[in-house]
Amino acid sequence: MATKPKIAFFDFTSCEGCQLTVIDLLQTHLGLLDLVEIVQFREAMSEKDEDYQIAFVEGSCTRKGDEARLLQIREQASMVVALGACAHLGGINALKNRWAIENVQTYVYGKNGKDAYESYPARPISAVIKVDAVIPGCPIDRYEFLRVVQLILQGRKPRLPDYPLCVECKLKENACLNTLGKPCLGPITRAGCNAICPTYGDGCEGCRGWHPEANFTYMREILRGHGLSDAEIDARFTMFNHYQFQHMGDEAPITTPISPAKDEPLPTSTFAAPKEA
Amino acid sequence: MSLYILPKERLPEFVRALQGNYRVVGPVKTEHGFAFDDISDPQQLQLDYTTTILPPKKYFLPQREVLFSYHTEQGDNGRQRIEMRPVYQGVEPTVIFGVHTCDMNGIMLYDKVFSEGFRDEHYMERREQIYVIGIECLHPCDEASFCKDMGTLTAPPVYDLHMTDAGDFYFVDTGTEKGERLLLDHVYVKMAEKEDIQKLGQILSSKWPRFRMRLKMSRDQTPALLTLGYQAKLWQELGERCLACGSCTNVCPTCFCFDVIDENDITLQNGERVRVWDSCQLYEFALVAGGHNFRESKASRVRHRLMRKGKYIKQVHGLIGCTGCGRCERACLVHITVPGTLNALHEEMQLEPGV
Repeated sequence: MATKPKIAFFDFTSCEGCQLTVIDLLQTHLGLLDLVEIVQFREAMSEKDEDYQIAFVEGSCTRKGDEARLLQIREQASMVVALGACAHLGGINALKNRWAIENVQTYVYGKNGKDAYESYPARPISAVIKVDAVIPGCPIDRYEFLRVVQLILQGRKPRLPDYPLCVECKLKENACLNTLGKPCLGPITRAGCNAICPTYGDGCEGCRGWHPEANFTYMREILRGHGLSDAEIDARFTMFNHYQFQHMGDEAPITTPISPAKDEPLPTSTFAAPKEA
Repeated sequence: MSLYILPKERLPEFVRALQGNYRVVGPVKTEHGFAFDDISDPQQLQLDYTTTILPPKKYFLPQREVLFSYHTEQGDNGRQRIEMRPVYQGVEPTVIFGVHTCDMNGIMLYDKVFSEGFRDEHYMERREQIYVIGIECLHPCDEASFCKDMGTLTAPPVYDLHMTDAGDFYFVDTGTEKGERLLLDHVYVKMAEKEDIQKLGQILSSKWPRFRMRLKMSRDQTPALLTLGYQAKLWQELGERCLACGSCTNVCPTCFCFDVIDENDITLQNGERVRVWDSCQLYEFALVAGGHNFRESKASRVRHRLMRKGKYIKQVHGLIGCTGCGRCERACLVHITVPGTLNALHEEMQLEPGV
């Protein structure tokens, strides 16, 4: 390769855990730097160059002010890759979309919150700009990141597994959590993480989004079998995928209202809202 | 072949002696059940296990198998040069203990599939190094078993050695000469005598009533039943229920379909062509270039699986494609079962009971 493609990392509303995963990957796969040149990566370096071809974007778009920056990235980059659940799905940030935004601002930032901090319903970045590839997950799977980068560099189209997590779980010979009475969203969730949560005994929460044939009706039946109420099942379905359900409108396979109700009180949290100054 | 007596207290000695020359695998206890795994301590071996999530097919067809490695470089004339080197993965002398009779039937089908027509050298190289030691099934694994219906309750001729639990000792039947050598070279056993053989006969004949029949028809009828029921309403119902998770095929001892993919190393110059397990129950399985999918609906995929098990495999290889092991039934969260499906089809077609 004569010149190395220049890549840049950007963050919006997120925990930056996906970028940390990339940094962690570089510790064991330094050879990646022979293939690409990183010109901007706030999490990892102070240098900053606006000349790049591939942009990796972590985080969801949660305020008007994010839009211009996203459009600018799209303008510069020939390829935009959504990095992780927030950028890909809206992720857990979109849970706030359930309540009127002013209520959320007041709840989080106090009485003057809505004047002090800009915010609007969270969206995946694909709602604002065209996205060429996605690396799902909360956080991303480092080896999937590596595979996607390799495919892009070879001029091939990165593809995600189109089947549920159960495939990977079975190949690892994990005992099925749903059979053991533990709720697991593996049957409706897109594979690719090597079933990491079920392997360690935790039910899948759907951070990679649904696979194209997700069977919500029978997933709900299975979860009801664990004694979960419909509202509890809705909560599990919407944890990472609230935005997707919201945009399905009446077709959304959930039983509780999902659109913002102005007067609905926010739930009490174990983390108390900040005290008024 | 010959019948020997192996006292139970001498089994650890046999396993330890084998470990000097072979990779020894067999059923071991896991947190929630059993699995075939490497045996490091003979005490791990659980010959009275019930069932495992994956059958021993994983030793015959690894989930990820490198077929060849490649190296690419820019040649002098500016053109890309590719060097390829064949790889035979996991070819090492291996002894598999505790193979149930259903799984031996699965292995028998595998041997046909990979040797008839196109001979798969990767499979055959590995196969020649594997010793199968069966264990006679004296009790059904659980409610999902229907081996008696499928005629897999006796050992087919694929074993090198076959053991039957007789309380204080095992009867060991030798199926092949190499199996007999394996036994005699690694442990002291004595030949069974006339009264021993009589005892074996009693053990074997008394096991049958413990197994129940679940099919409303004989297994010989399934090809005709599936032909008649190709357009049945049943498939639609099953398609709606199916999660398209592929668990049924991944755990199946006779499913052998695979995909072939190229994996590059970090330099992008070297890589490997690997074959990985695939499943006809997944959306992309029958998707072809241009975007057409030959089995787009889940209903058509569920039907295809049953057709393979009950009809197509038999047409090609002469054996029915289902061993009645019940693994797919245990793995299916929406309770799609082979006996349930065949019985429902039998009912929908309004056929006379055939048993």
